[in-house]
Amino acid sequence: MQTQPLNNVDRACSRQTGGIPTVPGIVTTENLSKSVVTSDGILHILSSIDLIIKSGESIAIVGESGSGKSTLIGLLAGLDTPTSGNVSLNGKLLTAMDEDGRAAMRNELVGFVFQAFQLLPGLTALENVMLPLELSGDKNAKASAAALLDRVGLSHRLSHTPQKLSGGEQQRVALARAFVTKPAILFADEPTGNLDSKTGAHIIDLLFELNLENKTTLILVTHDQALAARCQRTIRLDSGRIVES
Amino acid sequence: MTRFNLALRLLWRDSRSGELTILTLALIIAVTSSTAISLFADRLQRTMATQAAEFMAADLVISSPATIASEWLSKATQLNLAQAQAVEFSSVLIEHDELLLAGVKAVSSAYPLRGFLKTDAAPTETVHHSGPKPGTAWVDKRVLSALKLKLGDALHVGEKQLTIGNIITYEPDKRSDFYSFSPRVMINADDLQATEVVQPGSRVHYFFQFSGDTKALSEFNHWLKPQLNPSQRIMDIHDDRPELGSALERAERYLGLSSIIVILIAGVAIAMATRRYTERHFNSTAILRCLGCKQREILWLYGSQFVVLGLLASTIGLLLGWFAQEALFRLLRSLLPQQVAAPSMLAVFFGFIIGMATLSGFALPPLLRLKKVSPLKVLRRELEPLPSSAWLIYSLAVGIVGVLIWRYTGDLKMTATILGAGLASLLVLGLLVNVSLRLSRRLLPHLGLTWRFGLQGLLKNSRGSVSQILAFSITLVAMVLSFIVRTDLINDWHKQLPANAPNYFALNIFPDQQQNFQQDLQQQQIDGSRFYPVVRGRLVTINNTPVQQIVSKDSQGENATHRELSLTWSKELPVDNKITAGSWWPDAQAGQVSVEQKLAKSLKVKLGDSLTFTVGSQQFTATVASIRELRWDTMRPNFYMIFSPGTLDAFPSTFITSFYLPENRKDFLNALVKQYPSTTLLEVDLILRQLQTILSQLTEAINYLLYFALMAGFTVLFAAVHTTLDSRIHEGALMRTLGANRAFLRNTHIIEFTLLGLIAGLLAVVISEAVIYALYTYVMHMEYKANFYLWFYVPLTGALFVGLAGCWGVRNVVNKSPLEVLREL
Ligand SMILES: Nc1ncnc2c1ncn2[C@@H]1O[C@H](COP(=O)(O)OP(=O)(O)O)[C@@H](O)[C@H]1O
Ligand SMILES: [Mg+2]
Repeated sequence: MQTQPLNNVDRACSRQTGGIPTVPGIVTTENLSKSVVTSDGILHILSSIDLIIKSGESIAIVGESGSGKSTLIGLLAGLDTPTSGNVSLNGKLLTAMDEDGRAAMRNELVGFVFQAFQLLPGLTALENVMLPLELSGDKNAKASAAALLDRVGLSHRLSHTPQKLSGGEQQRVALARAFVTKPAILFADEPTGNLDSKTGAHIIDLLFELNLENKTTLILVTHDQALAARCQRTIRLDSGRIVES
Repeated sequence: MTRFNLALRLLWRDSRSGELTILTLALIIAVTSSTAISLFADRLQRTMATQAAEFMAADLVISSPATIASEWLSKATQLNLAQAQAVEFSSVLIEHDELLLAGVKAVSSAYPLRGFLKTDAAPTETVHHSGPKPGTAWVDKRVLSALKLKLGDALHVGEKQLTIGNIITYEPDKRSDFYSFSPRVMINADDLQATEVVQPGSRVHYFFQFSGDTKALSEFNHWLKPQLNPSQRIMDIHDDRPELGSALERAERYLGLSSIIVILIAGVAIAMATRRYTERHFNSTAILRCLGCKQREILWLYGSQFVVLGLLASTIGLLLGWFAQEALFRLLRSLLPQQVAAPSMLAVFFGFIIGMATLSGFALPPLLRLKKVSPLKVLRRELEPLPSSAWLIYSLAVGIVGVLIWRYTGDLKMTATILGAGLASLLVLGLLVNVSLRLSRRLLPHLGLTWRFGLQGLLKNSRGSVSQILAFSITLVAMVLSFIVRTDLINDWHKQLPANAPNYFALNIFPDQQQNFQQDLQQQQIDGSRFYPVVRGRLVTINNTPVQQIVSKDSQGENATHRELSLTWSKELPVDNKITAGSWWPDAQAGQVSVEQKLAKSLKVKLGDSLTFTVGSQQFTATVASIRELRWDTMRPNFYMIFSPGTLDAFPSTFITSFYLPENRKDFLNALVKQYPSTTLLEVDLILRQLQTILSQLTEAINYLLYFALMAGFTVLFAAVHTTLDSRIHEGALMRTLGANRAFLRNTHIIEFTLLGLIAGLLAVVISEAVIYALYTYVMHMEYKANFYLWFYVPLTGALFVGLAGCWGVRNVVNKSPLEVLREL
């Protein structure tokens, strides 16, 4: 049913990712720790996290609020640097790269969906989706972006700015933006946290559909047990440690 | 190319949403005012210079006791300079058995190169652009009456017979050298030979006059200087007429200052607006970073937006600035000379450069902060990037301001001093504000709720408050400077040339007439200066060394020792004279002298040196007891050498005075002339009027510049308050969801902003006084006195204005529904 837009996306994908290596772990961590210095002393947010996430796998990270979930995916995606330990994406050691190197990796490999949508307020839906393609210098940005917005059912809202869209619509734009580069890995931090359950369910359906179509590795933070159950594997965090994997 | 398109699109979206309004406005103000001022100042300067040139009848004059080398003239020709010559000498004229010592001036046909001559062909005056034709002479009216002649009669100058063609009433380059004054006879240079008056050895002054392109002139000047012999001198517009020179120079410096001030004000606004812009783009930047934008690309993305914005705003500012200065000239038309210099493209270009430089100097540092936005911010909204290093922020801005000051003062050391002093006081004061804010925290528990919240608004983000206070202070300082310097400058000019400044000098009053003369003036209620005795004498040796061996060529000292000086004595120090070294007659003994400062420097005379003078055939020696500073431009008798009473008793003396005679009482002059036939009355009205015209033009121009600076200041202050509103609006909305009522919010805001303005105002006074002191002492050479009323008005203005601007800005917080406000953010 969606072969036409997919062809388009496929082309973009093959150029960008070059081919996902066959090594088992597309995301691996080794003794990953994060601590921060606060006025009350050192706070250990994450301690000795060892993970291997295979290509194409879908993982749910669950745990109480404050258990370190956001910190973990921030580190996995190279948005932040660990206090000790290593993270590799696609066999490349993130921790050995500088910030610009990590930025290039993100652009090439990674897509994001956030709880707070995080669309650029000044840009239209279409422009928001075009953005990552434009950043990598893609000439077909507009066509690809329009195709993907069509795929998420927003072809009639292309020229609307985020302020004029509902939460569910904003998150659909965010999904389109996340998938438009055909990322190898998609990170989602409580993507339904700001949505009502019905809209949330719809977004999740869409997320899994797109994930399947693109064979993306999915790393998803959630509170929702039902959502976690749809993933192949669940990792539970408690006070910065993996208690169940 | 896609990236540039993206940058353009982001810029377009931002401008649509009003994100860039303040920034653009500030930039347009900066460029408009710097263009307007630089254009205006440049045109005014050139207009004034042209006018000053008229008083020399040329742009550059070589004065020499003999003709000059012909290759000098061919060099001038080579440089495309126009040339004219005037030869001045004294000659005794005899007609109808009457004798008259006249000042003869033989002028070439190109004379005057600048300005014009006026003759009186009753009932009207006629303007001429060249002097008398060969065979004719133009004379002062006094020549006719003294020699019983009338127009058309024959007049003999030496061996040459000439026809009197005109009565000359105005001569542009008539020199205000009062002591060598004699009535004018102007003839054509072609007749000079035939007069046979000028013989080897006779005392003649040659004036070789040149005009033309400024660059060619300065090249000529540089080329000539080393070749001059000790008796030759170059005069150019700025150093020839000291009274004009100093007025012009100060006006130029004021214009420069205004320019710096407006740029500074706008710079502060740009910095604040950019800061706000930056803060509002943290989230977008984090998303871009998250999507894989590199730091360099972020910088490029925003940088190119700012460049585009800068180009647009500069272009608009340029156009507005052009119209503004054109309007200024229209307004001033009646005051300015007929011929106003055309605007120069260079000044336009300068306005543009200033716009871009100000933008980069003040906007780049806050913008650089975007580079540091962590991509993690998408997950953790509260993560704020570190501010760019203070060093970078301030060094860039200081660099820009420094370059500007340097450009206007042309003095590296002074620039460094001003910058250093300004920075140091800013630092100290910033610290002080910080400490006092900390201290006032202790007050909090003792205050009512409204006051507590108001004060807390300041304390919550004390770092932000300090920088806001400093920004407001700088703006206020700039405005105060502009105002005070203008006021003092104009007062100073008025004091120098009050409406009843003396317009007549009376010379050669014999001692036995002095009492009567004084009484006559008093009876007629005519304001006069003191009567000074005058003995004509010449300085011959300093510590027994002949002066010729001491003075360097082309110096003032050389000039002064070349001729007889007017020597006087006095018990009291004359008004407007100030002792700079030594003291005024420590003992009342004869044989002491007080020397004018500049001459003393040029003659290398120190306290205790002994100076020997000749008067007629006699010699006497006096010891230097003090060095004096005086103002040459007061129209009162001034002296290089004043002796202690008794020193000059052995020599015959006459008296000199000056007085003010209103236009409608000129008939009194006739009575005076009849009563004291031997006395020379010298009218200085003309010089005075020239000077007054120029000063009133400058005053007007400077007034407009002040309005300009004040307007820019207030606009920017307003805009600056606006840039600080985001967080307040957000908090206000939150507070209202918590049940705070509108009056409460309004009052806390009034308190907060008023306090902010009050503190900024207090700071501004301190900094202003420091800067004014430095400016007056080192740049404008004016006397500094504390401005106590500032201590009242500036904090008041600050409190009032920042308070008002703040309340106006946050009116939305108070009136909009909180939900709407919260959704907007
Ligand atoms: N920079 C920081 N400084 C202090 N504490 C932090 C910082 N970052 C995270 N934390 C703390 O670490 C814990 C884990 O945070 P987070 O990863 O956001 O948890 P979750 O996403 O699971 O709710 C929280 O208690 C949070 O307050
Ligand atoms: Mg979280």
